[in-house]
Amino acid sequence: MDTAVITAPLRIALVGVPNCGKTALFNRLTGSRQKVANYPGVTVERREGERVAADGRTLRVLDLPGTYSLTPTTLDEAITRDVLLGRVAAAPAPELVVCVVDAVHLAIGLRLALEVKRLGLPMVLALNRMDVATQRHVHIDVARLAAELGVPVLPTIAVKRGGADALIEAIESAHWAANRVVSAPSWQEPSPEDAEQTQSDLRGVLAAVGYSAPRENPWFARIDALLLHPVAGLVVLAAVLFVMFQAVFSWAEAPMDWIDGGMARLGELTAAHLPDGPLTSLLVNGVIAGAGSVLVFLPQILILFLFILALEDTGYLPRAAYLLDRMMGGVGLSGRAFIPLLSSFACAIPGIMAARTIPGWRDRLTTIMIAPLMTCSARLPVYALLISALIPAKAVGPFNLQGLVLFVLYVAGIVAALVVAYVMKQFAGSRQYSPLMLELPDYQWPNLGNLLLGLWERVKIFLSRVGGIILALMIVLWFLSSYPAPPEGATGPPIQYSFAGRLGAMLEYLFAPIGFNWQISIALVPGLAAREVAVGALGTVYAMSAAGDDVAGQLEPVIASTWSLATACSLLAWYVFAPQCLSTLAVVKRETNSWRYPIIMAVYLFALAYIASFITYRTIAAWA
Amino acid sequence: MQQILVACIVSIALAVTVWKLMPARRRLQVLLALDSRAARHPGLSRWRERSLKPRIARAAGTGCDGCAANAGTRPHPPR
Repeated sequence: MDTAVITAPLRIALVGVPNCGKTALFNRLTGSRQKVANYPGVTVERREGERVAADGRTLRVLDLPGTYSLTPTTLDEAITRDVLLGRVAAAPAPELVVCVVDAVHLAIGLRLALEVKRLGLPMVLALNRMDVATQRHVHIDVARLAAELGVPVLPTIAVKRGGADALIEAIESAHWAANRVVSAPSWQEPSPEDAEQTQSDLRGVLAAVGYSAPRENPWFARIDALLLHPVAGLVVLAAVLFVMFQAVFSWAEAPMDWIDGGMARLGELTAAHLPDGPLTSLLVNGVIAGAGSVLVFLPQILILFLFILALEDTGYLPRAAYLLDRMMGGVGLSGRAFIPLLSSFACAIPGIMAARTIPGWRDRLTTIMIAPLMTCSARLPVYALLISALIPAKAVGPFNLQGLVLFVLYVAGIVAALVVAYVMKQFAGSRQYSPLMLELPDYQWPNLGNLLLGLWERVKIFLSRVGGIILALMIVLWFLSSYPAPPEGATGPPIQYSFAGRLGAMLEYLFAPIGFNWQISIALVPGLAAREVAVGALGTVYAMSAAGDDVAGQLEPVIASTWSLATACSLLAWYVFAPQCLSTLAVVKRETNSWRYPIIMAVYLFALAYIASFITYRTIAAWA
Repeated sequence: MQQILVACIVSIALAVTVWKLMPARRRLQVLLALDSRAARHPGLSRWRERSLKPRIARAAGTGCDGCAANAGTRPHPPR
């Protein structure tokens, strides 16, 4: 045993079936805050974290995607198998496997545990969700289970503080460190006889430990009867989404006004207390008018995520997947595409990565290609700005008109995705439909701690974007909008003579047919880095166009007074389709291992965006 | 004076923009190159351990690091 092996951190892998609580346990062990949700398929790649044991040793913990067996059917399951077998470059086989099994559904998780145990790796079994198992009168003789499997079995409640103390004590034991040299295990695909043997062993263990299936909660069945009903279920789903978008506008009004007022005041104070000069212009027109105009939308993003996180926690979202499966199958989408597409409402990137859970390459590719059409949270500031500026906040029956328009924009993205999937299906020819196999989780009340943590993570992500890439781009844009200075005797606003002004004038030829002025044309360029940057860019460009007048925090009235309804609607239509996110295209390249698909994606989305904006602009302009 | 300050701020902003928009793989290559250079200077070992190594781990680890949305988030230190 060489010194490097002795001193290197012990490698521990967490494996288990989907939605058994691996990531919650990973967070508990490492102190990290990876996304946890009450549905399967959240983790699609290995994640690594560290834990310092009581004796000072470092443990390296790997969280692996959920799998029902070591014979993979999807890419994420293959990752789990390959890591366990030490087949992944720069990641030797783990020296200790923590097999996480949901105590409520012991039979499902135990089958995988038996397969993993046969690999011969040192193993500990974490019997998770013991609190729910007790509530639902599940009986398991833990000591007997340990004896049957020949490995330590530790009951855990991963979502509760202190719920994994016994497991922590077990994995920190010096025993594993003393017996840590393991060679990569050998494995071959099980034959039908092997599978039968595993099933027989499983039945034997379940009988020995006296496992009794969980008692069904009669309320769950009643709720399911409503929520999974083919008609009533869809009505409930539409109502939930409708309320969500109404709330985004109604609830956010006051906090948005506070932030808006604060930014305007900050701009005034900065301008009043600093001498005139480029630094003052940079702070007022670049930083405050630019990054500040994006910051205003934080309350709306938080309200949207409050709903999404609450729906995730309750277990409703997989039921929505079940409801929409038939509709998705009709346009040629795999039922398993629902979770990736749902993730895309937050950001297309995790959505595209979550498509790894889809078995067929064509199904996976279709899902990847339409994921950017789902309305990601970065579009919300753009939508909210234009809706607030040009759509009156009047009531339409019991509803708010602005909320209705936002709902329509989200629906437009979904409909466009379904149409594109249908067209792709026609090009791909007929193929077998892969049905949705999804384990419906138990209903549960949203956990307040989880909600607050999830919202806090969103705040941090949003602020890090505003303070990082958005701020940096706004400063660069301010520079491009300020230099070179206008020539002697120039009559127009200085920005017209700047680099950005000249670029905007050139782009205007391209975008004039769809109603975009030169200010919008400029804003679209930095908006390629991230969609919401366009809002900040508009803030900076209009602040600079105002020839020194302070417009920080006043973007809405400027847009309302200078843009036509046709232009605003055209820009909204543009943002429904345009692939204004370089990170998304980069991830598509990585996930498809080819430049072909990101190029096809960019071309088809830009073409759709241009056509949709052209039709929208021309139609509204003709009617107005 | 304002001109100099503005020039510095714009240069830093330009560098940050290029860095953030750089593909994840290229960013990892730059970090690894930095690490190999820093390894030759004992005075930089603290910086390597505290700042550079976690960045390399994040860049090499998860795909989400390619996303600008996650660029600023990092796991909490172990308990």
